[in-house]
Amino acid sequence: MRSLRVLGLAWLLHVKMMSRSAFDGAMAVIWPLFYATVAFFMFRTGHGSSSLGPIGLAAAVMGIWTATSVPASSALQRERWSGTLELLVVAPRHLALILLPITLAASTIGLYCVAGTLLWARVLFGIHVTIIHPLFFVLGLVGTVLTIAALGFLMAVSFVGSRRAWAIGAALEYPIWLVCGFLVPVSLLPGWAHPFSWALGPTWGMRAIREAAYGGAPLGSLLLCVGLAGVYLALGVLVLRVVLDSARKRATLSLA
Amino acid sequence: MIEAINLRRTYQTTTGVVRRKRLDVEAVRGISFSVDQGELFGLLGPNGAGKTTTIKMLITLLLPTSGQARVLGHDVVDDAREVRKRIGYVFGGDRGLYERLSAYDNLRYFAELYGVSGHRQRQRIDEVLELVGLKGREKERVEGYSRGMRQRLHIARGILHDPEVVFLDEPTIGVDPVGARDLRQMIADLITVGKTVLLTTHYMFEADALCDRIAVIAKGEIVGQGTPAELKGNVAGGRVTEIEVFGVDEATVVRLRGVGGVSAVTVEEQDQKQLLIVQTTGERELTQPLLAELDGVEVGRVASREPTLEDAYVALVTAE
Amino acid sequence: MKSLRVFFLGGLISYRALFSWMTPSIFFLILVVQPVFQILLFAFIGRAANLRSDEFYVVGNAMQYAAVPCLFAMTQTIAGERYQQTLGYILISPAGRLPLFLGRALPVILNGFFTAAFSLLVGGLILGVTFPTSVFAPLAVVVLVSSLSCTGLGLINAGLGLRIRETSVLSNLLVGILLIFCGANVPVASLPDWMARISSWLPLTHAIEAARAVAHGNSITNVQGLLGRELGVGVIYAVAGLAIIRFFETQSRRHASLGIA
Repeated sequence: MRSLRVLGLAWLLHVKMMSRSAFDGAMAVIWPLFYATVAFFMFRTGHGSSSLGPIGLAAAVMGIWTATSVPASSALQRERWSGTLELLVVAPRHLALILLPITLAASTIGLYCVAGTLLWARVLFGIHVTIIHPLFFVLGLVGTVLTIAALGFLMAVSFVGSRRAWAIGAALEYPIWLVCGFLVPVSLLPGWAHPFSWALGPTWGMRAIREAAYGGAPLGSLLLCVGLAGVYLALGVLVLRVVLDSARKRATLSLA
Repeated sequence: MIEAINLRRTYQTTTGVVRRKRLDVEAVRGISFSVDQGELFGLLGPNGAGKTTTIKMLITLLLPTSGQARVLGHDVVDDAREVRKRIGYVFGGDRGLYERLSAYDNLRYFAELYGVSGHRQRQRIDEVLELVGLKGREKERVEGYSRGMRQRLHIARGILHDPEVVFLDEPTIGVDPVGARDLRQMIADLITVGKTVLLTTHYMFEADALCDRIAVIAKGEIVGQGTPAELKGNVAGGRVTEIEVFGVDEATVVRLRGVGGVSAVTVEEQDQKQLLIVQTTGERELTQPLLAELDGVEVGRVASREPTLEDAYVALVTAE
Repeated sequence: MKSLRVFFLGGLISYRALFSWMTPSIFFLILVVQPVFQILLFAFIGRAANLRSDEFYVVGNAMQYAAVPCLFAMTQTIAGERYQQTLGYILISPAGRLPLFLGRALPVILNGFFTAAFSLLVGGLILGVTFPTSVFAPLAVVVLVSSLSCTGLGLINAGLGLRIRETSVLSNLLVGILLIFCGANVPVASLPDWMARISSWLPLTHAIEAARAVAHGNSITNVQGLLGRELGVGVIYAVAGLAIIRFFETQSRRHASLGIA
């Protein structure tokens, strides 16, 4: 109960902070629009304008990852820069409870982008996205936000020792877009890339959203998406334990 | 309340690019002290003496390489969580706050992290805001705060969960004199409400005015410990004689050090002249023998005064 | 002579100082891994949309990535000096403004050049697009010209950086606009008319067209018209950029807006 309160409040305050930053807030919404626009032009030339719905949807969901990758991978580093990291570590809460809301806030900001891109697609390209199962659609979005937040959490704790954390996050933007089958069907990718696609929660989140919008059985994909989120979280907590132990022992984390 | 027994901390650094060499740096080498309930205990020492490392071991951020430390009876290594719940930590400087949030939101966040219960939060935040004099400004974003306001917010954050022990690491650094005086009053007030405080500072008058007891750290070891009065008495013994001179050479200073009853001589360079600060033990008036050694040197003002804490400190940290 | 010294030496030193945070691994991630994946992303989107050959995207995106360092680095140069509070010292120095800022551009152009060349090579290798070795020399000329013109745009960005604090947002916006308008992935001909008209006034558009022609075996003389226009566009931006820098510099002395004092 108390843990939920911590999660909730921390999430709220981080959403507040990110919304107030031009880079985390406005850019996170605008940046994917450029890619969406290019994709719309490309698919319109190749497929004609009739079947652009799924493309609009995919371009919209891509933004959740964009909003998350850099802020999440550099989350600890940002706390260090602002001098708050040690304060968070000496607080009597498990650090995971403090970090997860940061990446969750970032992926939540991504929802602005989903809405922005859908609006953009509709107004400028006349792309209408119709949704057959609205409930599953919402659940799919929530699941995708969760799985991306969990993935971000795993990244945050894994790259903690690295001054390059933000650059790793930036470099991971395109690969995840590509591998998770947002605009390019997984089947088009070379065979060796398929296991990566399957192991990534966003792949299943996107699939669930697509199935919810255009008919199909989204439940299976949704469960896989959320299940993978749980796996990332568990892994993240394990990594965090190792990181914190070594930080206290060897004065890494620049805690000293 | 706070107990450090033979605390040691070694850092490993590596040097060299081709052939990596492991280097052990001893930041803290066997420090022992204890702080009683309701006491304001000062940790003084030059930069790099090991003050911050000591604090970081006590607040569970760093593991000691060896030795033991207990805070409120809980071991800082084994019962880290218990320790964390009961202590507050405040450091000096502009960092450590969320710039894009209001002071109120900053406090709300840490109240939650420290498990201040929901219905108590609002009341408690009001209390601490009142205490540090930020009431009425709490809805403004921290990015617009002055250095002094930030420091007050830091203190508010540190005492939010009503900790029994508060660690203050150079809390007045960079604050203007009037603001620093307010902060010192705030720190003194912490004691009157029954908190135990461990304070590090560079400012001697601050330590003198605030601390019940002081430990002076140099090169990772405690070189002196006691009440401010004891420290002044022990080290400087009797008196301090200040002699203004114009052009004194090293040989003369060495000669002065050899005068019976002189415990330390430091030279302070001033514009055209130097100020010799001579510390003497015992009650004997040494002005005449000192001036005799200065034969041939142009001498200005000569004054004799009571030793200050700074004299004691300088003598301790410069002693080999 | 003195201008030349300011040009080369000043440029190199400031570049090193401001990019000290750019460790080899960050350089690798941002200027090698990212462009290659951008090529892969769009090539696969192209395949998914039943569009052109991979070569189209390899050339287009490699060229676009030559622009990225030019845009960012120029802005970073000014914003960085401002951040480190060295901008004031530079503005009060009597060195001529033109060699001062253009000198800063030189290492960046080389940087953009290598990024483009590398992306071309690796992106092509992964997708199985090979270019005859004979195209590399003329392609180098095209990349160089586009780097120059993008630096021109970078100067405008840098000039605005004297006034606006969130310059990284501005740089990202420019990169995004170039991505859409310059024909890197969407041929200018398939853009709506009003967009195509904007395209022809942006740096990079003509260079990408020239690069594709050269990659198809055209000689450099066949594309000199395109290169001329590219260079012309670049010069216009550079002049405008320097004018903006001068304007804000004067303004700042009048209104103390740079936080220099």
